[in-house]
Amino acid sequence: MSYDDVEIEDMEWNEELQAYTYPCPCGDLFQITKEDLKLGEEIARCPSCSLYITVIYNIEDFLADSDKNRQNKGLQPVAVA
Amino acid sequence: MEEGEKDESEGGVWSWGAGTDGQLGTTILEDEHFPKLLHQPLLSSVSSLACGGAHVIALTSAGKVLSWGRGNSGQLGHGEVVSNALYPKALTSLDDSFITHVAAGWSHSAFVSGLDFSAVSLSAVFLKRISVESDYTGCVFTCGDGSFGQLGHGDYASHSSPVKVSCFIDQHVAKVACGMRHSLVLLKGHCSGADCPGNQVYGFGSGKRGQLGVNIDRVKSVNVPRLVSGFEGEEIVEIAANGDHSAAVSVDGHVYTWGRGFKGFDDAHTPQCLNSTLNFTKIALGWNHALTMSGEGEVYMLGGNHPGVLGDPQNTKSEKHLPFSMHSGDQKRQPKCRTNRLREFVKKDSNMTALEFEDFREANLEKVPGLDGMKITDIASGAEHSFLFSEHGEIKTWGWGEHGQLGLGNTSDQISPVTVSLGYDLNEAASIRVFCGSGFTFALGSGSELPVAVYRMESQESSTYFGIHDALCWKAMCSAPKAPPKFDNYEGM
Repeated sequence: MSYDDVEIEDMEWNEELQAYTYPCPCGDLFQITKEDLKLGEEIARCPSCSLYITVIYNIEDFLADSDKNRQNKGLQPVAVA
Repeated sequence: MEEGEKDESEGGVWSWGAGTDGQLGTTILEDEHFPKLLHQPLLSSVSSLACGGAHVIALTSAGKVLSWGRGNSGQLGHGEVVSNALYPKALTSLDDSFITHVAAGWSHSAFVSGLDFSAVSLSAVFLKRISVESDYTGCVFTCGDGSFGQLGHGDYASHSSPVKVSCFIDQHVAKVACGMRHSLVLLKGHCSGADCPGNQVYGFGSGKRGQLGVNIDRVKSVNVPRLVSGFEGEEIVEIAANGDHSAAVSVDGHVYTWGRGFKGFDDAHTPQCLNSTLNFTKIALGWNHALTMSGEGEVYMLGGNHPGVLGDPQNTKSEKHLPFSMHSGDQKRQPKCRTNRLREFVKKDSNMTALEFEDFREANLEKVPGLDGMKITDIASGAEHSFLFSEHGEIKTWGWGEHGQLGLGNTSDQISPVTVSLGYDLNEAASIRVFCGSGFTFALGSGSELPVAVYRMESQESSTYFGIHDALCWKAMCSAPKAPPKFDNYEGM
């Protein structure tokens, strides 16, 4: 059973691990990569114990993230000289 | 016993559980499934501990601080970011202060200074008396991860050395508590007889689950301390924080909780008084449960066994017999109590059948079973494990055990309290205190009930001995009717 449901906005991006992380009660971190998220994976696992969490996120946000023409979507106006 | 001849079995420090970041102080990165006595000379004077996500802050009887374990956010306070520290190391940057209280969160730390040595002449400290009113400063220092504002410095910066929280410079801070991403500070009220305004509590850091208790509306985070509202003039003497939970205990024995709702309950954005006639003296928080102890030595639990841990498929067999999970088969039950007010249910008979439990599934506060009237003198909670200490020196534990954090020599979970042995026959007078981190545990033995740092309070009536860490004693001091009490430090300086 999933230990908890955690929204992606409550997870922290960890440069070193190249993963979104959230504290695990064992002291380590639940981890999930952007690649996992793009594939629709919603389970973030802890490398040190058997627990895992369910990540709540919108897959489109991550598919869009890989779009090189992000500014064309008009979601975030980009200042152009 | 002569000073300096401290028996190790009485004054020892033991650790067990997850050792992935050196948090056990065993100098190796390995889990320990049995309590391990630490042979670190530096630890011989430790009087109190605070265990965080994977780091430990130790307070010595001389008001000095040691730390070890994970340091990747600067939470060890040594002025550097290190992946981990395997050996206890002194925090030299706090040498100017006499630290009276420490706290450890997931990746941040906090320190309360009782006395600023740079502001008090040394002769006053060693030879004369220290006036509480004039010299007790009670400042808060924080270090570690500040990305949620949990350091309280008005920004989201992290610090690898303790930095004084400017908001409290002119205040008398009594205690500090650190949760996963937030902090609480308890001020010592300026009591003057009947005109006592009550001690104030401040919160800062992440407030998404209501754990700051500063506003009915959702607060994502605040980076400067904000006053916690809703104590209705009660005098708060204890605070606690862990995970996304916060709690406080009043001098009248009322328990307040706020933050993430315990199983089946909504989040509470302001402190909610536990509706109970019991007189509570302490609360210990986990990430999904709370233990609270009454003045009569009884222990009650909020939240029950967390389904993600003890309801794990491999444990479903035992889950059916959970002695204090009131609605384990009904995880999606919506809270019927709209006010979030946690209602009390005192289980009179621990031999109730499962059917009878179903009848009381709305109940949230449950008496910890299987203690057979044993009087409990202390409680401690890790993220998902619990400890009790009885008046006869027995240590009881239950909860999640995957890293050996229960100290039973295995990695099994326990659904009801079982006895842990430290491997020593403890002296009758010995007192053990247990401190829990996320997935690890420390035990600290001392020869008496009092912390090693003992001060003498001189009032005009009598001399009273008490530990400076004890909020109730602070209260006694505050309510002393005559001249400001004086401290005469006779030990441990």
